[in-house]
Amino acid sequence: MAQASHAAAAPHSSTGIDSRKVLMWIFLASECLFFGSLIATYLVFKGDIPLPPAGFLEDHTDHGVVTGWFPTDRVIDGIEYKGVLSIPITSASTFVLLMSSVAMVLAVYGAQNGRPKMMKLWLLGTMLLGIIFLGFQVFEFHEFGAHGLNLATNQFGASFFVLTGFHGAHVTVGVLMLGSMLLASMRRTGLGPEAGFHVETIGLYWHFVDIVWIVIFTVVYLIPA
Amino acid sequence: MSAGGGHAAGSHERSHPTVRQYVLIGLLLTVITIVELAASYTPGLGVLLIPILVVLSAIKFAIVVAYFMHLRFEDALLTRLFVFGFVLAGAILIALLALFWGDPAVINR
Repeated sequence: MAQASHAAAAPHSSTGIDSRKVLMWIFLASECLFFGSLIATYLVFKGDIPLPPAGFLEDHTDHGVVTGWFPTDRVIDGIEYKGVLSIPITSASTFVLLMSSVAMVLAVYGAQNGRPKMMKLWLLGTMLLGIIFLGFQVFEFHEFGAHGLNLATNQFGASFFVLTGFHGAHVTVGVLMLGSMLLASMRRTGLGPEAGFHVETIGLYWHFVDIVWIVIFTVVYLIPA
Repeated sequence: MSAGGGHAAGSHERSHPTVRQYVLIGLLLTVITIVELAASYTPGLGVLLIPILVVLSAIKFAIVVAYFMHLRFEDALLTRLFVFGFVLAGAILIALLALFWGDPAVINR
């Protein structure tokens, strides 16, 4: 079996595990700290968003409804605020990212079991689903901007854009890595004897991006303010 | 002992899922996401809503890490490394919330 042959060919290390894989897991563990801090910051500011200044109310009130300040709908002091978060749209993008993880694991399966066509097909699928997810994020950011919410509007906007923006940057890096991997697999020599290892390592990164989104989706979108 | 070549070879004895099993896991993740959505739209859950969402999210997280990232089939050292980072991140999150949650000096800056 290809998995077993890869294990046998792995370079010697004191742990018996390929050091590059250990390094990837250490990197992912450090990424937990990074996103954990961003999520904590978001929660601090989401918990108690101050009321908008008079200037914002004047500029962003339409038919008595204020947009672009709070994440969810609410009425305060008789003023109706329309929340910016759209759970249906984000649910669709969440589904896309979940499916990209399925595509990624199938690409890894193809690479580790000597099925290059399967690997290339699912690498391409993963990349396309990642691009669709980024499209959803660009659309969401554009909509928020149109409603008056940006990095400088309030603390909610700042922490939201930093958190989801960094996640989007990670997805972008993942898409670039998948694209380079796909291009490399098109060479006459393919990805070489360690194809399974290379695709698996990128897969670890991609799945991590997915699990971070699982947390963000719950914390930012589903849990009420 | 987790370290050592013998164990590394042993950790591969548990076979990875098949294509069919991966697709079924993907379906399971989708179903859990739908349940999460349904819960968030269900009125009357009250204080139960947040624990329900957190538990469902944790289940999805664990499934992806265990099966898609193959941690279930890997050496225990990798699990320990990741869990260490994850627990430390959780501790930082709790510490930051304890320090700044509802602090007017931070909120009204």
